[in-house]
Amino acid sequence: MGAHVSIAMYQRNIPLRYRLVGQRCQTCGGVNFPPRAVCSQCSKGTRFEDIQLSGRGVLYSWTRIAGAGAPSEFAAQAQALGSFVVGLVQLEEGPRVVAQIVEVGRSAPRLGQRVEAVLRRIYEEDGVIRYGYKFRPAGDAAPTPPGK
Amino acid sequence: MPEVAIVGAGQTRFGDFPDRGVKELFAEAYQETLASVDRGMDPADIQAAYIGCLSAGGGFQLGQLAPLLTSYVGLPDIPSLRVENACASGGYALVAAICAVASGRYDLVLAAGVEKMRDASANRARYWLGVSGDTEYERLAGLTFAGIYATMARRYMEEYALKREHLALVAVKNHAHGAQNPKAQFQRQVDVDTVLRGPEVASPLGVWDCCSTTDGAACVLVASARVARSFTDRPVYVMGWGAASDHLAIHDRARITSLRATVSACRQAYQQAGVGPQDLDLAEVHDCFTIAEIMAYSDLGLCEEGRNAALLESGATRLGGSIPVNVSGGLKAKGHPLGATGIGMACEIFWQLRGQAELPSRQVKDAQIALSHNVGGSGGSAVVVVYRGG
Ligand SMILES: [Zn+2]
Repeated sequence: MGAHVSIAMYQRNIPLRYRLVGQRCQTCGGVNFPPRAVCSQCSKGTRFEDIQLSGRGVLYSWTRIAGAGAPSEFAAQAQALGSFVVGLVQLEEGPRVVAQIVEVGRSAPRLGQRVEAVLRRIYEEDGVIRYGYKFRPAGDAAPTPPGK
Repeated sequence: MPEVAIVGAGQTRFGDFPDRGVKELFAEAYQETLASVDRGMDPADIQAAYIGCLSAGGGFQLGQLAPLLTSYVGLPDIPSLRVENACASGGYALVAAICAVASGRYDLVLAAGVEKMRDASANRARYWLGVSGDTEYERLAGLTFAGIYATMARRYMEEYALKREHLALVAVKNHAHGAQNPKAQFQRQVDVDTVLRGPEVASPLGVWDCCSTTDGAACVLVASARVARSFTDRPVYVMGWGAASDHLAIHDRARITSLRATVSACRQAYQQAGVGPQDLDLAEVHDCFTIAEIMAYSDLGLCEEGRNAALLESGATRLGGSIPVNVSGGLKAKGHPLGATGIGMACEIFWQLRGQAELPSRQVKDAQIALSHNVGGSGGSAVVVVYRGG
């Protein structure tokens, strides 16, 4: 039994899921990601402009989800890999985001490690593959933001 | 606030009951509650019911579960409402009952909680828990509930030099307590080595760091002070309570090593009660994962921030210590039937403050003031209640 996020609901969020499009608050200038009705920084602003986030950040915390403990919609992935890593990434622009951390194998990621966003397959529901952002360890070269 | 008291309490054993559904579990706790009233009572005196339940019996009765349950036990006429805030559903049902009585409208209200989790497959149980986090973000990143608390634990270990062994000590302590509680799901002790060797669920948390899935139900009778003494000479009074919310997703929170909803709910409760953490004789704390109890120590003011591991190591939170935490076994060993958990805490405190623990060995000596702390999900909601014996 998977967590149900309808295709329509997912589609409304394509810009943020594919390209990490956030909001800049016109009241305080703070950056919100994911978007909000009222700015999380100043608790006042309700008008925003879209902002393309860089996709660069550092690892704030992480966990390795064991194969047997994976949510059902990620069970096949967990079975194939044995486990997978989910991290909390502190983005350059300020917000934090929860996402899978890929290309780390069985090694233990390091807090503070630099990571960059990549567009990956997230899971499948209603026969439709849902794509979205994951993060991978970043090299020294400036990475290309996803979707550019 | 007009004075409000608890005059009766009942709870099924928490555990795995293939022969009982949500209705039967509720009925058992309800009957025990009626029988617990010292001077007896007429069920017709119950004027309203608030029932905490997350999954509505695995989704079979999402609508109008509460009237279904109350009419099943012979209370077809009263207003009856399901209260949902994930794992804090019971705590919020209790607060709803307290408010209903304090409003002056009612003199006697049933606060209950029930959950039937063991009918569900592991996948389905994870579904009900997982969709109590922020579904669109946490769940779609593949995070489970254990994964969310594990992410908090990793950060906590980094910021406060907490060791893996400290997490294990919480499980060891609460299982030692649960081993003496005939109403606990797991009535056996466990040692540090076993906890550390347990299979990993979401690193750094292993299977012994996580609460189980549990069936169970619990009820308390909440009465106005005006009528409380017509039911018993030993009511347990509600001194104060607090409730608060926070962003569901951990990525929306400024800190993940403290639950802001707990801190806020606790401040309200102490303020209303006119007491502080130094006045407590025991606390029932939301230890859905071992890290949750460690974070709660400072969130509830039992120690300064950063002294959490030291408090645990000192033995102060063990039965016999200066502030015993989770003498019932906690969610870890007593069990965590989501909606019933918050009410089960109130039951434990009702018995402890009346000196009624089943075994003298698990009774907190001369307990007069106690606190319960019930958290929804990973801290999206929290309830804290402070009680005193009559
Ligand atoms: Zn703003």
